[in-house]
Amino acid sequence: MSILELKDVHKDFSGLKVLFGINLALEQGERHAIIGPNGAGKSTIFNLITGKYTPSRGKIFYKGEDITGHPPYKVARLGLARSFQITNIFRTMTVFENVRNAILAKNRVCFHIFSRLAKMDGIEEETERLLAQIGLLERKNELAGELAHGHQRSLEVGLTLASDPELILLDEPTAGMSTEETLEAIKLIDRVTKGKTLVVVEHDMEVVFSLADKITVIYYGKVLASGPPEEIRDNQQVKDAYLGEEKK
Amino acid sequence: MKKSSFRRLALALAVLVLLLIAPHTLTILQIRMVNEIAYFALFAVSFNFLFGYAGLLSFGHATFFGLGAYTAALTLKHIAGMPLLLSIVMAGLVGAIGGAIIGFFCVRRKGAYFALLTLAFNQFLWAIAWKWREVTGGEDGIGRIVPQGSINLGILSIDPTKVEGMYYLTIAVVCLCLALGWYITQTPFGNTVKAIKVNEERPLFLGYNVHLAKLFIFTFSAFLAAIAGSLFALFQDFVATSSIDLAMSTQVLFMAFLGGTGSFFGPILGAAIYVYFTDWVSSLTDRWEFILGVLFILLVLYFHRGFIGLIPKKLKEALVSEKSS
Repeated sequence: MSILELKDVHKDFSGLKVLFGINLALEQGERHAIIGPNGAGKSTIFNLITGKYTPSRGKIFYKGEDITGHPPYKVARLGLARSFQITNIFRTMTVFENVRNAILAKNRVCFHIFSRLAKMDGIEEETERLLAQIGLLERKNELAGELAHGHQRSLEVGLTLASDPELILLDEPTAGMSTEETLEAIKLIDRVTKGKTLVVVEHDMEVVFSLADKITVIYYGKVLASGPPEEIRDNQQVKDAYLGEEKK
Repeated sequence: MKKSSFRRLALALAVLVLLLIAPHTLTILQIRMVNEIAYFALFAVSFNFLFGYAGLLSFGHATFFGLGAYTAALTLKHIAGMPLLLSIVMAGLVGAIGGAIIGFFCVRRKGAYFALLTLAFNQFLWAIAWKWREVTGGEDGIGRIVPQGSINLGILSIDPTKVEGMYYLTIAVVCLCLALGWYITQTPFGNTVKAIKVNEERPLFLGYNVHLAKLFIFTFSAFLAAIAGSLFALFQDFVATSSIDLAMSTQVLFMAFLGGTGSFFGPILGAAIYVYFTDWVSSLTDRWEFILGVLFILLVLYFHRGFIGLIPKKLKEALVSEKSS
């Protein structure tokens, strides 16, 4: 059974059609990249899967369960986590507090009022473990909004991973990074997503070909092609529509 | 125990001792003023749970203050043998229920729409209080509500018909509620509320039920406001529409901003300054409301961190080690 399945998903925003019948199936442990030109509908697919939007038509299944129209927090609790293209962190909180917010959600204690946060067992340790994983432990007391861009992106990915999700959706994790930072980020993502199912929307072909074992090309709201990297690289339609453009 | 929390505890105890011995050194009028400051401080703190902590600006917080005031008055007036303390608890419960119902509609809206909706509910409840004369007495209100006789708590006995008795009752209830409020800010739930203020979207994708968190804090805030309202009613020994009108909603907003909404203690300071200042200015001129208006304009324009922002950071940290947010 596929871990995630999109069946004939359509989306239009008050008349503006963005997606026309997307079909997509992800196997457990797969590393899947979604590519396509700007405005192709990649981020919209993420927003539909994670419950930010509801499809106009079609269904979304997670491990066989219909999650179409579930609110984001319910989708997240099923073990499906996403990062954002535009960094979406708690800017006026410290790096430690940022990750702790995610750890508290993972432990389902966001509404807990029967003990003080500082006295709760394990929360601090778990937070620091994750901070070490994403390489931000020594910056834990800095304000998130004051971090360098690359570090903010790491934190963005860190918040996504903190819930220990089974399916991870990363929306342009290396957006705005220098080449060096990008290489670091790929290593980080590769390391921390071992054994998980990964979907990544990316513009950077280097990132795509080094991370993904399956690529889906979205072109104006439709799936243009889907398959292993070599196949996509050699696909004439894809070259015409997208990869060719990059080389111009 | 950490040094900072020890210092905080010592400070709290010192304030408590001062409040306990105060009636022996103050005049009757001064005792009444501290009493007034106490319940307004609780009201202002309850307002700040919405604004300062959750980022929700309410223009109608008197709704819950009034609900509490009327509940205390009506239960004491109509239920024979109603214990005074129970009427305060009832006020808190009615406030919380009202908060849950009104909050259910309000927390789904953001920014200006949230503010306008709280305002609309306030107007609605004010109109009921004003027009439903058989129950509320309309503009004439309800008077003589405090029952005769002392409250006996084992070794302690308080006579709420005396100025000192009412003072001790108010201080005890307010301190308990403030301690509860402070505790809530230290729990994971308190953290959730702060996180939602900083970023509302991200928690949703981390698995936080953001609407429910807002509804809970709205309800808690209404609960505290209603308790403050009941103390107001008992202190005045009278309730009328002034407890639930828009002027009261504005007043609490003013108090919170005056002290500073960025910290737990700001609104307490704000309530103290407000009560003292209005008392002083109104003894100088009949046009004290005009002066207050000018002050509010200046406050919002140039001084939005409030009076607590004037306290040097070092001193504040030394006293309570409260990190400014």
